[in-house]
Amino acid sequence: MSITFFAFLAAFLIVTALTASEARDMLSAVIALSVFGILMAIIFVILQAPDVALTQAIINSGLVTSLFLVAYSQTRKRGDDPDRENDR
Amino acid sequence: MKSPRNLQRLGALALSLALGWWLWQGVTISPFQGITGPAARYIHGTARDTGAANVVAAILFDYRGFDTLGEASVIYTTVCGVALLFAKRRYRRSSHGLSFIVKRSMALLVPFILLYASSIIVMGHLSPGGGFQGGSVMATVTILFCVIYGSSFEAARVSPKVKETIESSGALLFVLIGLVGLVTGGAFLTNIAAGFPRGTMGQLFSGGTIPLLNIAVGMKVGAGLSTLFYSMVKILEDPTESSPPEV
Repeated sequence: MSITFFAFLAAFLIVTALTASEARDMLSAVIALSVFGILMAIIFVILQAPDVALTQAIINSGLVTSLFLVAYSQTRKRGDDPDRENDR
Repeated sequence: MKSPRNLQRLGALALSLALGWWLWQGVTISPFQGITGPAARYIHGTARDTGAANVVAAILFDYRGFDTLGEASVIYTTVCGVALLFAKRRYRRSSHGLSFIVKRSMALLVPFILLYASSIIVMGHLSPGGGFQGGSVMATVTILFCVIYGSSFEAARVSPKVKETIESSGALLFVLIGLVGLVTGGAFLTNIAAGFPRGTMGQLFSGGTIPLLNIAVGMKVGAGLSTLFYSMVKILEDPTESSPPEV
């Protein structure tokens, strides 16, 4: 595994993490978190931790995403959270 | 730009960069300098102590089995809390699921996903995986049912009581296996020293209590996470709503 590929994965991981935390649209944030989970699982495989990778792939990309989506679909939709209003 | 919130963000950015640099140093060092410390002891002693081929499973269910019991009870408490929290809520909306094609493809896929989940659980002491991962795959299947067949599909077939029974019996099984060690004069969750057969390393029936504990944790986690999801969805049959179209 070349170090450049790993660096690319790590950089993309940072991009998805920033998207997940900074996106105004909740749905985009949830999907970005899911992509973050997949990339994290790939990185765990590269670092030779298949047990953790399996857990990460299932929990973060399957369960947590679906739980967030259920929570999203059953709450009020404003597009963003109220404490962001002060920043504008 | 001088508000305290932005200062906080700058601090967080600096901390993240420092941590990232530190972790990156860990990646770029030369990989093999020999294994020392506790890792060497576990790698060399696992086959002799437990008979399991997967060192991670051996550590999880033998060397620190009591911690795993603690983690399992954390999940149990979480599921109980969420189920309690959402007990009074009743959402009336019940989706009717996706199209015919998706439903049929899902029906073809489900046995294979369940087989995969069972193999992860049963072969947890041989290959990567274990009760926690396999149980999560099982719970994911029930979530797929909810998404594809509509939310009342699974609740009408597997009652939440059955899931709760499976989860509780998984927890009980774990504790009972642990008590066997106590009865035979060892410590709680003693494995080989309590008389469980070690077997040949790499065989399906090996590793003493580890496969049994895997199955117990799989029951617990699978039923528990499924309950967690369904108590959030919480679709009860609404008599005023039309029944979903037949497939």
